[in-house]
Amino acid sequence: MADVIRAEQLTKTYGQNRGIVEVDFSVQAGEVFGFLGPNGAGKTTTIRLVLDLIRPTSGRLSVFGLDARRDSVAIRRRLGYLPGDLRLYERMTGRDLLEFFGHLRGSRGRGDALAERLDLDLDRRIKELSRGNRQKIGLVQAFMHDPDLFVLDEPTSGLDPLVQETFYELVAEATRRGGTVFLSSHVLSEVQHIADRVGLIREGRLDLVDTVDNLRARSFTHVEATFAEPPPPDGFAGIPGVAELERRGDVVRFSLEGEIDPLLKALARFHVRALDVHEADLEDIFMALYRGAGPDAS
Amino acid sequence: MLRSIALKSLRDVGKGFVWWSIGLAGFVALIVSVYPTVHSNPALKRLSEDYPKALQAFIAFGGQVDYSSAAGYLGIELFSLMVPLLFLVAAIATGAGTIAGEEERGTLETLLANPVSRTRVVLEKSLALALEIVGLGLVLWLALWVGALAVGMDISVGHLAAATLAAVLLAIAYGEIAVLVGAASGRRSLTIGVTAAIAVAAYLVNGLAPLVDALEGPQKLSPFYHYAAGDPLRRGVSLSHLAVLVGIAIVATTLAPLVFARRDVST
Repeated sequence: MADVIRAEQLTKTYGQNRGIVEVDFSVQAGEVFGFLGPNGAGKTTTIRLVLDLIRPTSGRLSVFGLDARRDSVAIRRRLGYLPGDLRLYERMTGRDLLEFFGHLRGSRGRGDALAERLDLDLDRRIKELSRGNRQKIGLVQAFMHDPDLFVLDEPTSGLDPLVQETFYELVAEATRRGGTVFLSSHVLSEVQHIADRVGLIREGRLDLVDTVDNLRARSFTHVEATFAEPPPPDGFAGIPGVAELERRGDVVRFSLEGEIDPLLKALARFHVRALDVHEADLEDIFMALYRGAGPDAS
Repeated sequence: MLRSIALKSLRDVGKGFVWWSIGLAGFVALIVSVYPTVHSNPALKRLSEDYPKALQAFIAFGGQVDYSSAAGYLGIELFSLMVPLLFLVAAIATGAGTIAGEEERGTLETLLANPVSRTRVVLEKSLALALEIVGLGLVLWLALWVGALAVGMDISVGHLAAATLAAVLLAIAYGEIAVLVGAASGRRSLTIGVTAAIAVAAYLVNGLAPLVDALEGPQKLSPFYHYAAGDPLRRGVSLSHLAVLVGIAIVATTLAPLVFARRDVST
């Protein structure tokens, strides 16, 4: 499959910010690629490189097979962008803004229909709109021209759950038409919900790229035990298949691969008030990965 | 008004432009209405004759300090300071808003998601700035014309237009310098400060040159020198002086996209 976005050894360093370091990834035509990581990890930096708002320190970046910098205008013609920190012309109405951007793109496309679908009042000045409604305008301007590539930085922030559902539908429709979606999020459940593949970025480095299905297959059992009093720190060391994920007072969370019996025997040495055992979701998987990667993982 | 970046930028200055025009026209009306009184005042005529030559460049516009003629009066009261001041404030404010203002507000990022090159953004906004100042110039010219007719000033419409044109070109030159500084720095208040400082320095160099021999050479570099030296209220358009102002505007407008295209857009 053709790479819509291809980053090779992409590095951006600036001032006091870490930026990103030697990031390699590709986003393939027709897929939804979720960029996941804590705030400040480098998601927005990567996205702004794709938009040619900032320039790489080193490495290569191509979009639609074109050079991200040299051919930026041609790339942006086929791209819809929703900034993470969306700022719009406050004195304009939504309708003015869509008309203006429509002229810059040559056509307003489906702007009005999308606004209606998102239940957006286009006649109010943007400065009078709530954060959620501004975000809707951001979505409309990113989707209205039916771009081939959607670059969406934290697209659902500020949206209420009902509108989020509409957003998921829009993404699904876009990919059915052959569109490609590159989105960032720090909300794992969201990425789990709509992405085909996930890239985990942390402290400027891309730790892992895999399909959501594969990540689920890495799945383990998640065990949370509540003790009558905090157990000794080394109380559960060396139990086969068991890793301690987190300890908060008298609550300890474990990941478990294989049989539960060795862990149960170890737990039985203490006074256990409650025990919760469930199949791990992506959140738990990432929590485990975070723990494993880097000495300063917190 | 939303068909292009240039038109949209003009739309943005719309309301401000109306107030600016009203203020400008009102100020002109006030100055012109006093002319008949000043004109016939013999004390002021003597003052004109006794005025120290060295300070003339600050007070007069082009020629000599002269309260007895319409050209001399308008030069002293309007064109030597107030008109360039008002025009420069408008031009520098718009110029600093062009890139730096939008960048600080964060709207530049959304604008640049559209398929428009950075060069086009800078050039269209530079064009809008020039049109805004030309518009202010038209207001000034009309106000002067009507005023001159009303109080029977002995000055030609063409010479009023020539002086206005010099002010327009001076302001556009500084406006485009502000565009350039903003394109390089991305910071609005810094842009206003730097451009205003450059303007004040150039104004002082021009005004002090008759007093300080060492400034005679640098004076020729001051846009204010070329603004006034042609003595447009008395002698009409001086192409060679205006060409310098146009040249400054063109150089700044050419450099602005080049420096802007090279750097990161800040968040």
